[in-house]
Amino acid sequence: MMKGFSSKAVHGDGAVKKDVHGALRTPLYENVTFEFENTRALQFAFEGRSLGHSYTRISNPTVEDFEQRIRLLTEARGVVALSSGMAAITEIILVLAEAGTNIISTKYLFGNTYSLFEHTLKPWGLEVKYVDMTKTAELKAAINEKTRAVYLESIANPQLQVPDIALISKIAAASHIPVVMDGTVTTPYLFRSRDFGVAVEVLSSTKYISGGGTTVGGLIIDNGLQDWGRCPRLQKAAQKYGPHALLAHLRREAHRNLGSCMSPHTAFQQTLGLETLALRIDRSCENALALARFLQARPEIKAVNYPGLESSPYHALAQAQFGGKFGGILTFTLTDKEQCYKLADSLALIRRATNINDNKTLILHPASTIFCEYAEEERQTLGVPSNMLRLAVGIEDVEDIIEDIKQGLETL
Amino acid sequence: MIITVNGDRQTWEEQKLSIAELLTLNKVEKPDMVSVQLNGKFVDKQDYGITMLAAADEVDFLYFMGGGKA
Repeated sequence: MMKGFSSKAVHGDGAVKKDVHGALRTPLYENVTFEFENTRALQFAFEGRSLGHSYTRISNPTVEDFEQRIRLLTEARGVVALSSGMAAITEIILVLAEAGTNIISTKYLFGNTYSLFEHTLKPWGLEVKYVDMTKTAELKAAINEKTRAVYLESIANPQLQVPDIALISKIAAASHIPVVMDGTVTTPYLFRSRDFGVAVEVLSSTKYISGGGTTVGGLIIDNGLQDWGRCPRLQKAAQKYGPHALLAHLRREAHRNLGSCMSPHTAFQQTLGLETLALRIDRSCENALALARFLQARPEIKAVNYPGLESSPYHALAQAQFGGKFGGILTFTLTDKEQCYKLADSLALIRRATNINDNKTLILHPASTIFCEYAEEERQTLGVPSNMLRLAVGIEDVEDIIEDIKQGLETL
Repeated sequence: MIITVNGDRQTWEEQKLSIAELLTLNKVEKPDMVSVQLNGKFVDKQDYGITMLAAADEVDFLYFMGGGKA
């Protein structure tokens, strides 16, 4: 039995089915439907009484291969792959909550997640309570009988706040409320959410996992910790499927009906990306730390925000939670927005693009892009000031990244 | 012993049969990917080995993930 993350990621370690032709890489099953020997067999597959792919919107061999590899790496109960990280967040919230109920979250979120909560789900009658996740008294006070989930990010993007996830999980578990955590920035390589009491991890696999920004995808990971019978919307499924209630409900209803499936092509690409995940994360974390230290010493920079810096208020917690690696994202502030634009536009190697954990280092002005739909006042409450730039650090040689930033700073 | 599995009558020579053994006899290679109902009631996975079947029991295997045969 292999124990190492990369060994498991590369080989599948028994979680992956052998190909009928002996292909060493699971082939790309780029098809829609599957034939059965007789109608009864088809009926059984639809009823869940037999294992069988029936339609690629519901499941597909190449997608299943990707899901099983993630399951192996996380030791989760099960995994569902989706068309994007936002699809994963949407699907899990729709399954756990409903009109007249609430979820508890923080304003320190990815901008599109905040928009999903505020602009897309609120009109359907979902209440979203925002608390400071670093103040557990606020969280405790917000929980009531209508609370269906606590939602947060392992490292908030782009605010880079690090919550005490074990403590938050403990508080939520006392009320039988599942913690749903977006682990995009850390991935299961840096953070084993199951060990910290997280019921469900969602990820944008577009980022670190895809490996080089090849494809858009998402994951829902059921860590197998939650008693779904205590979650009102899943009680019926729990009676039938017990601990598998969430996965069964997703696969046999919500995921099937919403149609937000991962394409086989994406699963093929992201399985390939998964194999080199650890190597790439190690490199980008090293680069990010070196870059953060460089920026911290420059007079043009007002402040650098990176959990890997000893000056970060989250450094000690991040060190303990993420095993001495702090992710590939950092932010820094300049005098004003104009200075940010000038610096970003002067860069040659670093690309101006919105993504994180690409192989390439990317720079972004979050206030005018991901958070452009919010007024300046609201952006301040979201922790996204207009004088802040975000660097999503890639895997290039760090000397080249630093040299590019250096020449850019000299233009200010 | 005659047991109904997913609507099919199965005859087994064994006089004592647990759910875990029934899963093996039915070539379910990944029992952690199947939920089992015995006479309409969900059986906890940790009890598969100690839950003994009786003649005329009705057992349903319910798969919660898509996927071809392991």
